[in-house]
Amino acid sequence: MTTRAVETWTLDPLKQFVGEAAARLVLLMTPAGQVLAQHGFARALDVMSAAALSSAIVASTTEIARQLGEPPFAALTHQGERHGIFLANAPTHQGMVVVLVVYDLDVSSIGLVQLFFEQLRTELHAASPKTGVPKQVLAADFERQLSDSLDTLFGR
Amino acid sequence: MSGYVRALDLVTRVRGVRGAMLVSATDGLVVAEQLMEGIKGPAVAALAGSLANRLSRAMAAGGIGAALFWHLQCTEGALLVVPAPSGVLIVAVAETEVNVGLVRLELLRAAELVG
Amino acid sequence: MAEDVKSLSAQLAQDPTSLVFLRLGELLRHKGQLDAAHRVALSGLERHPHLADAHDLYARILADKRDFERAFDEWDMTLRIAPTHVGALKGLAFLYFKVGDVEQAAAHLEAAQRHSPSDPTIAQAVAMVQGGDAGAAAAGLGFESAAVPAAPAPPSSAAPAPTPPPAPAASSGPLDEQRVFAGLEGAQEGLLLLDGSGQVLGGALRDGSGNDVTAPVAAYLAGVSQEAARTAKLVGLGTWTGLAAEGVSGHVHLAQPSAQTLLLIIRDRAVPMGRLAIIAQRAAQVAARWLERQA
Repeated sequence: MTTRAVETWTLDPLKQFVGEAAARLVLLMTPAGQVLAQHGFARALDVMSAAALSSAIVASTTEIARQLGEPPFAALTHQGERHGIFLANAPTHQGMVVVLVVYDLDVSSIGLVQLFFEQLRTELHAASPKTGVPKQVLAADFERQLSDSLDTLFGR
Repeated sequence: MSGYVRALDLVTRVRGVRGAMLVSATDGLVVAEQLMEGIKGPAVAALAGSLANRLSRAMAAGGIGAALFWHLQCTEGALLVVPAPSGVLIVAVAETEVNVGLVRLELLRAAELVG
Repeated sequence: MAEDVKSLSAQLAQDPTSLVFLRLGELLRHKGQLDAAHRVALSGLERHPHLADAHDLYARILADKRDFERAFDEWDMTLRIAPTHVGALKGLAFLYFKVGDVEQAAAHLEAAQRHSPSDPTIAQAVAMVQGGDAGAAAAGLGFESAAVPAAPAPPSSAAPAPTPPPAPAASSGPLDEQRVFAGLEGAQEGLLLLDGSGQVLGGALRDGSGNDVTAPVAAYLAGVSQEAARTAKLVGLGTWTGLAAEGVSGHVHLAQPSAQTLLLIIRDRAVPMGRLAIIAQRAAQVAARWLERQA
C-alpha cells in the first residue's frame, strides 16, 4: 500500500495516521475536491471518484448545518458491514483540508480513527507552510493540474 | 443510564481504581465514564476496545474461548476489563497495587447490571 | 515399619488436627506409597494451610510423583511462609538440577547450608554439584526420583562452556521445545516463546482437542503485544509487563522475557490465575536464560 502526496508537508502526518489508525484508504483534499495526498488507492479513477463524492458530501452537510444555524459539522461517520468511513475537516495554514478515511471493521474502529485523527489534525496544522497563498484552481488549469496530481499520487 | 451509573460506582469505589468506563467493544467509543483527572477517556476506550478484539481472536485461535476477564499489567498502573454480554466492555483504570481480585469481582457485578 | 504406619494412622484418626500427619506422610512416601502419602499430606494441609512443613511434605510427594511444576509451587510457598526452610531450599535445588540450572541449584544449596551448617548431605551435594555430578547430589539430598540428568559443568576460563545449538530459523520446521523449556511441565502444549515478529522460538500449543494451534496463535500474538504496548504508553500506564486473561475454557498469561520476545502460557481453568502468573514468571526466567545463551 502506497502513501503519496502532491503537497509534501502532508506526507509524514498522513503516514503516521495510517500506521496508528490502521486505515485502509485515506484521502486528503481541499473542500473543492483537489487532492493533496492519498494512501491505499490503487487506481486514479477511484481517487477522482472519492474526492468528488467526499467534497459533495461536505458541501451538502455544510449547507444542512447552515440551514440549522450550526457551524459546519466537524465529522461524519458511516458504518457498513465490513468497512466504515469517516469524513472530517482539519484546519491548516494552507486552508481547510478534508480527510476521508476508510477502515476495515475487523482491523480498526471508529474509536481508533477518531483518536488518531485528533493527532493528524494537530500535525497537519503544525506541518502546513505558513507562507505562500494557496493557489486558486482555475477551470482552464483544472484538468492539467488534476492530471499532474494524479501522476504524483500514483508515482507515474 | 442510572444502571450505567450504578455499574460504574461499583468499580470506582474500590481503592486504587482511578476510573471506570463502559466502552462499546466494536466501536471503541465511550458509552459512560467516571474518570479521575488526567485519564484520557477516548484513548482508553479506543485502545481497550482494540486490545480486547485482538486478544479475543488470539484466545479463540488457542481454543480458550471468549475472554471473561483480562488484566493488562504495566509499570505505572493497570487496565482491567470484563466484557458484558451486550458487547459493552466494563473497563477499570487502576494503580499498580490495586486489589485485582476485588476489582474483578466488581467488574463482573457491573457487567451483570449492564447486561 | 508396618507397625509405625498403623500406630501413626491411629493417632491421626484419634486427633485429625495433630501434626502426626507429617511423620505419617513422610513414612508413606519412603515406603513408596505415594497415593496414600498424597492423601495424608493434602488432608493435613487443609487443616494447617500455613504450616511450612506441610507444604514441604506435599512438595516432596509431588516431586516423587514427578509433578515437578506443582512441587516447585509448593516449595515456593514453603519459602514464602518460612524463608529459611532448609527442606524447601534443598527441594528447589533439586528441581534446578533437573532443568540443568546449576547456578540456581548451587545458590539454593548454599542458602540451605547457611541455615543448616551441620547437615552433611548439603555439603556433600554442594561438592557434587560443583564437581558436575548432579545425579549423586540429588540422591544425596534424599530425592528418590531417578534419572536426574547430569548438570553441565560450570563455565571456567580454562575450558569453554559447551555451546548450545543455535536457535533454528523459523522456516526450519518444528522446534525442539525441550531446548527452551526443558524441565517445565506443559512445554509441548501450553508454552510458547515468540520473537518480535511473531516467529516461534520454542514451545508449542495445543487446543482442548489436541490440535496444534501454535501457528494461528503466534500470528495473533504479535498484534496483541503491539497493542498492549501502545495502550500502556498512550493511556499513561508506563510500560506493559504482562497480560493475564481468563477464558471460558482456560487461562492465559502473556509476558515479555526480553524486549524482543513474547511468552504465552495457557492452562485449563483448574489452574488459578495467580498460580499461572508464578508459572509464567518461572518460564520467563527460563526463556530469558535460554535467550542469553543463544546471543
